Amino acid sequence: MSRIVSRPAIIRALLKKELKAYSRDKVYLFLTLLVLIAIPLTYKFMPSKVNETITLAVSPSVSSMVEDAKDSLKAMGATDAQLAELDNADLSQEQEGLLLIEFDNEEDMQSVVEGKLEAWRAEDGALILRDPETDQDKPPNAEKLGLDIGIAFPKDFISNVAAGKSGVAVTVYSDANVPEEIQGAMTSFVREAAYQLAGKQLPVTMADDASIVLGTDRAGDQVSLKDKLRPMLIFMVLLMETFSMASLVSTEVLQRTVTAVLVTPAKTSDFLIAKTIFGTAMSMGQGLFVLLLVGGLTAGNWSLVLATLLMGSMMFTGIALFVGSSGKDFMGQLFYSMLFMIPLLIPSFSVLFPGTAASWVRVIPTYPIIDTLVGAFNYSMTWSDAAGSLAYAAVWVVALFGAGLFTLKRKVKSL
Amino acid sequence: MTVPAINVEGLRFSYGDLEAVKGISFDVQPGEILGFLGPNGAGKSTTIKMLTGQITPKGGKAQVLGIDISADDADLQAQIGVCFEEKNLYLNMSAKENLDFYASLFGIKEPETMEILRRVGLAERAKDRVHTFSKGMRQRMMISRAFVNKPKVLFLDEPTDGLDPVTSASIRKTIREEADRGAAVLLTTHDMFEADELSDRIAFLNDGEIVAIDTAENLKLKYGTRSVKVRLRDGAGVREEHIELASDGSSARLAELAASPDLLTIHTEEATLEKIFIELTGRGLAG
Ligand SMILES: Nc1ncnc2c1ncn2[C@@H]1O[C@H](COP(=O)(O)OP(=O)(O)O)[C@@H](O)[C@H]1O
Ligand SMILES: [Mg+2]
Repeated sequence: MSRIVSRPAIIRALLKKELKAYSRDKVYLFLTLLVLIAIPLTYKFMPSKVNETITLAVSPSVSSMVEDAKDSLKAMGATDAQLAELDNADLSQEQEGLLLIEFDNEEDMQSVVEGKLEAWRAEDGALILRDPETDQDKPPNAEKLGLDIGIAFPKDFISNVAAGKSGVAVTVYSDANVPEEIQGAMTSFVREAAYQLAGKQLPVTMADDASIVLGTDRAGDQVSLKDKLRPMLIFMVLLMETFSMASLVSTEVLQRTVTAVLVTPAKTSDFLIAKTIFGTAMSMGQGLFVLLLVGGLTAGNWSLVLATLLMGSMMFTGIALFVGSSGKDFMGQLFYSMLFMIPLLIPSFSVLFPGTAASWVRVIPTYPIIDTLVGAFNYSMTWSDAAGSLAYAAVWVVALFGAGLFTLKRKVKSL
Repeated sequence: MTVPAINVEGLRFSYGDLEAVKGISFDVQPGEILGFLGPNGAGKSTTIKMLTGQITPKGGKAQVLGIDISADDADLQAQIGVCFEEKNLYLNMSAKENLDFYASLFGIKEPETMEILRRVGLAERAKDRVHTFSKGMRQRMMISRAFVNKPKVLFLDEPTDGLDPVTSASIRKTIREEADRGAAVLLTTHDMFEADELSDRIAFLNDGEIVAIDTAENLKLKYGTRSVKVRLRDGAGVREEHIELASDGSSARLAELAASPDLLTIHTEEATLEKIFIELTGRGLAG
């Protein structure tokens, strides 16, 4: 006897049912509306500039570095006019939220950062150092500076960078009381600041906690907070959709409707394929909607953004299927959701501080998704740059679906 | 001889260390209703779960419509109908949508949904969502869903559990119609009246084992003892005496009591399936 019903027909039937279940569940509808309204609104009202001024100490003074580099710059073909422009650059004024405090002496700067010396800034911009141990008067009409971080450049920094030398080390001092994560973030910030000082955007890698070494990595443009958060918003959409999808699977497991489906010619794989198509389509749809609203398709590498969104939708659906078929009851369900969601969220924070992700963060399955989204959005990442990340994500997608199929089969047998 | 619709040999299942089904054998012919009668925990549902492919047997063999159940065969699944113990309906969908969806899984293009709903008395509620249905209505939905694909074999796990007598009777009528149509029916129950009324044959299941399997008539003849209960006035109260009809001196004692001036009433006591069950297993069907 031949099989009277084809698999595509079964999957179509399951999809139709999926759509009904989704459209009739208040929780799913609420979550969907929340995503579609709240996230674009958050984006709209987010400041496009960071207003807070970051105070940063450097040594030696930029002008002395420029002075020292003049000869080598000249030798490399810099014109007198260009050199004069460097002389006239006023770095002591606040620019783009960055206040630069220059130290002539690396040891002084280190002492201030470590809290052994106080630094005061007079109205005319002059720097006054005071030893808090002595009974020396506080300088009048001066503002005390909070310096948690200082960068010491080598004397020949500019000429080395200009000559394209690699392995140019910059030492970053930070107060030991500053938490490690903040230190990491600051280091990343310092790195971006270093590009600006060098007048070039050079690739860098971090050598250790205390110093950064210029080498090869993705170039980091200065990107506004608002732009940085775009990929994170997309990530949030996918995450919210994951909760809906997980509950679409778990209700079938908990109410045991899945067993009714599986005693018919429909197989566990048909059930999962239908859920996957549905979940991926829902995530993709919502992701696209939000993308359009935040202008994600006009900026950066849009085809790569779309491909990554698809990969991300599939990955999160895979996670949802796995989580949704894991819990035995509602509480178990919640427990598994949290168990998986929290670690999967971690990589999205690396968006705020690009390049700071520790190696263990890079291993998390969602890291390549967010990393590629960030790259494609804001750093003109190309398809070949992203190939490795996407391949790594694809491996996870396959593994998650395998795990989902296995868990669901086991779960159904224990009902 | 025709191929049995269900053929089971030495089927076993255990949940961890707990042996739920301990090697049972039976068959069901097309058009026959076999009633699985046993208390809660006897292994009735576990047997149905194995035969419908929900769980994999730990031993023994079974064929349904001549196809080995371990084959996970879509052709076989297309020809069976299952009524589960839990009422696993899509609560957010209407009665009609539930049945239409189920029919589409069998590739049925024009399901006779309304006709099926009419048979279980739910035609007027076809458009209402199942979450608005009473327990009895949901149970009728469960039964009707099992009929959607006109199955050759029906597995019905406690189809009338917890229903009022009127609803139970109407559901039994539809089950009988299915058997008359030619379907083999394996039905579980812990209700001896249901087993007695509906089944062509009855299997007594206790603690994972079939302790007896035969027609109700034969079981009663083989194991039951016919007896008479005589009630007599005893001073201010009432006294009862049971007389087993086949035992020595029973007729003399009965004649003596019948002539007594204290005689109130005489009742014949037919052996019930429950009594036989107790006789065979030392336990009742409840609990
Ligand atoms: N999922 C399960 N896990 C562990 N034990 C189970 C499970 N389902 C049933 N059992 C046990 O197996 C035995 C048979 O159960 P079951 O087949 O449901 O009996 P019945 O349907 O006759 O009431 C019982 O002792 C029951 O407690
Ligand atoms: Mg049962």
